[in-house]
Amino acid sequence: MVIKTRSSPFGGVGRTRVLLALRMLSESYPRELARVLGMPFSSVLQALRSLEMDGLVAGRALGRTRVFKIDPRYFAYDELQRLLLQLTESEGELKTRVSALRRRPRRTAKPL
Amino acid sequence: MSITARSSLRSVAVQVGGALRRHRIRAVLTGGACASLHSGGAYSSVDMDFILLGDVAQAALDAAMRSVGFRRKGDRYVHAHVRFYVEFPRGPLAIGGDYRIRPVEHGRRPRALVLSPTDSCRDRLAAFYHWNDRQSLTVAVSIALRNRVNMGAIRHWSIAEGAERQFEEFLADLKIARGKRSARETR
Repeated sequence: MVIKTRSSPFGGVGRTRVLLALRMLSESYPRELARVLGMPFSSVLQALRSLEMDGLVAGRALGRTRVFKIDPRYFAYDELQRLLLQLTESEGELKTRVSALRRRPRRTAKPL
Repeated sequence: MSITARSSLRSVAVQVGGALRRHRIRAVLTGGACASLHSGGAYSSVDMDFILLGDVAQAALDAAMRSVGFRRKGDRYVHAHVRFYVEFPRGPLAIGGDYRIRPVEHGRRPRALVLSPTDSCRDRLAAFYHWNDRQSLTVAVSIALRNRVNMGAIRHWSIAEGAERQFEEFLADLKIARGKRSARETR
């Protein structure tokens, strides 16, 4: 039996971590979430599907990618955001990974 | 009256709502299908989202849906003769931060519980406010154009959602739509 080392107030470690990542990133897509969280892609998909069923996250198509964010129409959206913000305080490693992502725009074809 | 290939969304929604009622399951039609009912079909939807009010056993829900020809396939209910499908998203019944929603009855016999025109309008506006979905703005305008809606409540809620500017845009579009309707009627 694996001892849980992280709290998972949203029904499972995967669901909780996906929510935390979405709180930090504002919006993201499954591949990026899997990379940032170090979780298998299929687990991220499963977590997103279940969170979507619960109305906590919502996805929309952007080209061929589905982009997800915490659903601003969720009835306890403000409270959820506040709780997640509090929970991210102890997520130093996740914060570091998120900080390493480049999200600002880059002119097309500009060399790295 | 049974569901056939020619049944409209309205007819199917009311029959599903009626079947749920007969089986003592309280469920409210929300989302796009409800908006379609209130907007006179300005928006066409193939999925019907019913929010269950209270706990329901899966077997009881299956039985109710089976009584009008729907069978469960994954997390939705499908019908052999119509393309419309039914889903039961998890509640609570809420629009943005407001969960004090009073559904209304729609249809005669059978009758279904649906969001009121005011709430359906707010439901569409929520998508416009938070996702910048302009299709939802158009539908919200159609609903307000065809029904009596409580504009004071919508304004109050919009401000609470931090969308005062978008609400003004909704009002401006509604004014234009009313102007066009008046022009058509005087011709």
